[in-house]
This record gives sequence, C-alpha cells and structure tokens, in this order.
Amino acid sequence: MAISKISGCIGCGTCVQSCPTDVLRLDPKSGKAIIKYVEDCQICHLCRMYCPVDAIVITPEKSIPVIVSWG
Amino acid sequence: MDESNKKDQLSRRQFVALTGGTIGLAALGSLGLMAAYTENEREVDPADFKYQENETDVLVIGSGMAGLFAAVKAHDAGAKVMMVSKGRLGSSGLTPFAKGIFAYDEKTSDYSLDEFTAMVSRSALGTNNAVYTRQMAEHSLARVNELREWGFFESNLYNKSFNVPITERNIPLIERVVITHLIKENGRIAGASGFSLDEQKIYFFTAKTVILCTGAGGFKPNGFPVCDLTHDGTVMAYQIGAKVTGKEWNDGHPGRSTNPAASYDGWGDMFDQKPSTTQIEIHHDLGVDLNYRAYKLGNPIQMGPPGQEPGQGAELDGGPFVPEEFRRSGPPGGGGERPGGEGRRGEGPGGRGPRGEGGNRERRRPPRKGDGPPGMQGSLAGGSSAGMAIHKSEGIVPINEKCESNIPGLYAAGDALGSYMAGAIYTQVGSSLAGSAVQGAVAGEAAAAFCQKVAMPVISSSTRKNIETQMLAPLKREAGYSPAWVTQTLQGIMIPNFVLYIKKESMLKAALAYIEELRDHHLPMLRAADLHELRLAHETANMIITAEMKLKASILRKESRCSHYRLDYPELDNENWRAWINIYKEEDGSMQFEKQPFGSWPEVI
Repeated sequence: MAISKISGCIGCGTCVQSCPTDVLRLDPKSGKAIIKYVEDCQICHLCRMYCPVDAIVITPEKSIPVIVSWG
Repeated sequence: MDESNKKDQLSRRQFVALTGGTIGLAALGSLGLMAAYTENEREVDPADFKYQENETDVLVIGSGMAGLFAAVKAHDAGAKVMMVSKGRLGSSGLTPFAKGIFAYDEKTSDYSLDEFTAMVSRSALGTNNAVYTRQMAEHSLARVNELREWGFFESNLYNKSFNVPITERNIPLIERVVITHLIKENGRIAGASGFSLDEQKIYFFTAKTVILCTGAGGFKPNGFPVCDLTHDGTVMAYQIGAKVTGKEWNDGHPGRSTNPAASYDGWGDMFDQKPSTTQIEIHHDLGVDLNYRAYKLGNPIQMGPPGQEPGQGAELDGGPFVPEEFRRSGPPGGGGERPGGEGRRGEGPGGRGPRGEGGNRERRRPPRKGDGPPGMQGSLAGGSSAGMAIHKSEGIVPINEKCESNIPGLYAAGDALGSYMAGAIYTQVGSSLAGSAVQGAVAGEAAAAFCQKVAMPVISSSTRKNIETQMLAPLKREAGYSPAWVTQTLQGIMIPNFVLYIKKESMLKAALAYIEELRDHHLPMLRAADLHELRLAHETANMIITAEMKLKASILRKESRCSHYRLDYPELDNENWRAWINIYKEEDGSMQFEKQPFGSWPEVI
C-alpha cells in the first residue's frame, strides 16, 4: 500500500516537506509524522531517502486500484 | 478510509470487471457518479483565512533546477528576489529524479556547437528551436561547474546543494504554498497569489516580474514521479493571456507491468544514485513507437536484458517515422530518457553505476539492438508518463531567446517554457536538466534587467477579491465532486493508448466531448474539505484545461511528426505543417489556435 509505516519518528518534519504530493503531515497531538493522504503517494521514496532516522517503510503496491491504459 | 472512498473503489473495480477498460467511458461516468457527487464535509472554515503580503522585483515560482538558477542569477544581477514553491527546494517536480546533466565543452568535444545544433535539428525534423538548442549546449558547462561548487554531484538528494546558493544570498524561500493565480494589471504582470498547505493563509505577491519554473505536468499517471506537476504554470499563464504551445507532443515513457504505480521500483536503483554528467549522443527516441507496437501486437512488451534481443522481436510495418540517420535496427526501447529526461540509454545493465562526471567520453556508437529504458527489465506497460509532452516542447511560448512571454514581465524557464530546445522528440540525453539550468539563468538575468525599467505594480482590491473568491470556491461549496474522482475520470478518458498515443480524429473528438463535459459541469463543482484537497481541486482543473488543449491541438495537426502520431495521417506533411501550434485565450474566453512557422518567433502586438 505505497507508504505503509512510520516507526521511530523523531518529529523533525523533513518527510512532510520532502513529499512532492503532500501525503504526510505532522500529527498536532503527538508531533510525529503520520500518513494522511496515502492515496496520493506516487511511490517515489523521497520521504524515505530524506528521513534522518530511516523510519519510513514503503511497499510497491498502490493504495487504490491502479488505472493503467494497457498492459 | 471514509465511506465515499470505499464506494469509489468499488465503482472502479466494477468498471474494470465489467468493461475490460476499453469500452468503458460511458460506464465509468455512470458508475462513478453515484459516489463522486457528495456533501462537502469540511475540515477547515473558509471564512477564517489570514493574509500575507509580499513585495519583490522578481518572483520565481517553482523550486527545481530552473527555479534555482532563475533565483540565483536574478539576485546576482541586482534584483530583489523571492522564491515560492508548492513543494520543497530540490525535492519536488521532476528535478529530484533527473540524474544526468549534459555538459558540453567546446575545447574537448569532437563536435562544434554548430555541428551539435545541426545534428539535433536533423533528428527533430524541424521541430526544435535551434536558438534554444544552441544556447543550452553553449551554457551547459558553466552551469554544471556552478552546481559542482554547491555540492550537487555529492549526493542523490538535491535539497542540500540547492540550499547553498539560496542561503548564501539570503533569498527568501516560501515552501508548500500553492500558487493558483498569476496577476496581470494594466497589460503587464503584477504578481501572483496562492495558499499555504499548512495553515489557512492566502499569499499575495506583488512583483515586477514573474518567472514560471513550474515544470510541465501529466495526468497524475501511475509509474512516473510527476504526480505533483499538473501544468499549473501553463494554465495560469494561459488564463491571463499568455500563448502556450506544444500540446500535441507526447512523452512515451513506459512503466513496468508489475506494480506499475511504483515509480521508485520501476526505475531500479536510479533514484538512489548521485547525478553525473552526459556527453554528446544524439538520437531520436519516440516512446510512441513502443506504444504503436503495443497497439498492433498487444502488450506486455518483453524487453529482456539490455543489449540483447527483446523477447518479441517481430518486425512491424508502419508506425512513426524515424529518420534514417537515427534509425535503430531492433525494436524500440520506448521513451529512452529517464524520469526527468536525464538518463543515458543503453548504458549497461540497468543503468547501474553512474558514469564518472567530467571527462570527455563521447560515444559515437548507435544505441544497441534492443536497448531498453535504463533500469527497466521484464514486461513493460504503456501510459506511465501520460499527459506529459517531450521535455521543453510544451509550455509558454517564448517571444525571444530570453525566455520572455508575450505578457510584459512574465518569463518562463525549464519545462514550463515551450522553448523546443530538443524539439518534439528526445534528442540528447541529459539535455533536459542542463536546459532547465541554462534557461533559468537566462530568464533570471532578463527579468532582473526588465525590473530596472518599470515601477512596482499595484494589485487592485477588486482583483484581490476576485482571486480569493476563485481560490477558495471549492472549500465553500456545500456539495460537489471530489477532485480525486474527477481526476480518475479524466485519466480514464486520456490515458488509453488509442487517445493520445495512437491518434485518430474520431477518437480524439470522442474524448474531447467527455473532457468538455468535465470542463463545463465538473470543474465548476469541484469541492474541497481541507487544504490538501483544495490543492487537488486546482490541480484537477488545470489538468482538464490541459486535456482540452492536447486533444484540440492533436486534432488540428493532420500529419505525423516526431512524438505526435496520427493513424489517419501517418505521413509527414512538410507543405502544411512545418509549424508549431500556439494556443491562447481570446477575450471572449474561447480557446484559440494559431500556427507559428518552425524557426520563427511569434508576432507580438
């Protein structure tokens, strides 16, 4: 399901900034990153690559049914 | 996941099961409609927005490679500069994924600038603007050397190196603000306006000049990291009277048939690699030829390992024209360039192991038989980059070599500028990223010079009010269509290979009828519950307008050339179509089209 898990987040917000499609937000209560709009994840891994503590797990499947035109 | 999303999913599955994806345009509309038009369950109060006023000489919109150089060079030329981005510096758009940058050194190259330009022009069948082709090559090494000083080649993540010159110069950088409007007052640019993704705040920028570095876009396709680019700059500029071009051309990058939405996985380990430089290697990479093959023989296309015969090597008659000089002996690899257009093709297994930067390693060998897209093996599927044109072939029409538009004070650079630097086809690997750097610098210096001769404009209160109304309209609607559903519907219309890749008039007109329906009856009813969805609403609107442009331009060009392939007009028509198609908005709001002969500049009134 695209970006699937954040574990060990330190709340630095880098992933929120680094996501081109605005999938992540900081939870106002916990101060930690949450996956808020997973359906917009383009599975580019920038959040994972920018994360300073390697907290993000991403799988290759899209979270919503994939539309491909052919193939 | 809320109830409406579940319904959307169900509809999609039903649709796929019932129609097989080919005869489903009508079915898609009716099945999806039930779940799509719903009450707007707001999470933010549209009456509770704050404002932030900003004033600057040069406003740079977008923070990729073009934006970086636009800001730096405008600043260094003496202008007061601000940069605004809906993403993050060096981490949004296609820039983060572009790993090869062309660096031409006349002292060590086997080719002169004139020879290079002439070779690109032959491959591009006249579609390139030779002034921009040459400009890219001429300035590429200087930009690459600056990037090297900032540490660009030391990391696969560009935010750090991009921050070096921006921080050194104290250039104000505003991230995660979505610009929705360009502002024109008294016939010239006056600024821009947008909203924050993180707080309920509207930004107004009063500016003497604006440089659009907003990239181009797609239809949020699966398998290509272009989902944040939705032609925002092009459509905003079109709305205030700028001419745009290049909408009939197509990027034909394939994706993998396994997990086709996974951009990262599809491109192997390329996103993890540090960038490197590329040298002269000119080709004629269509992408659309892969799609023709799929159209005729069926998918998936089995590529096999690079350098070997593909699994399905049957010869195929017809299809897109490739000049003899640039013809390959094997079936097409498709696309050819990497995301961001910066890859090397046929560079060894999976494109792994970046070639060391620097040095003169021009290769004269033609691409090997069966060269596949770097990093991709196994079965390929089409449509992965749907909605994109060839890099730098679509966007704002330049009126001169300074990246200037027909609106005084409005400039564009990189993929936001329809410079036809490479033509309507991929010709030189790594030139897309180099071209963004070069054009950003050119536009930055030109904008700074323009600022010296004009006074600071004033944005009227009526303009502000109109913009705010339009900007927040999706939030204010009590009910409406979810942007995600409208986008899915648009994708169902535009992404099939028989619409934009293998074109024919009847199908283009059929698709246009659907798009006009979305334009007239769905775009005005897009709803948004929060700031994220407000962004999606504006992006969806921009994609609908772009779809209309792409279909109409494709209907108009009754020939086949480069990445535009018409099944009903399969030949080049040099008598009538040695011309680009410009699109502009008439005062009555209608979309108008004009031809501009290849090799000329537009007439400016």
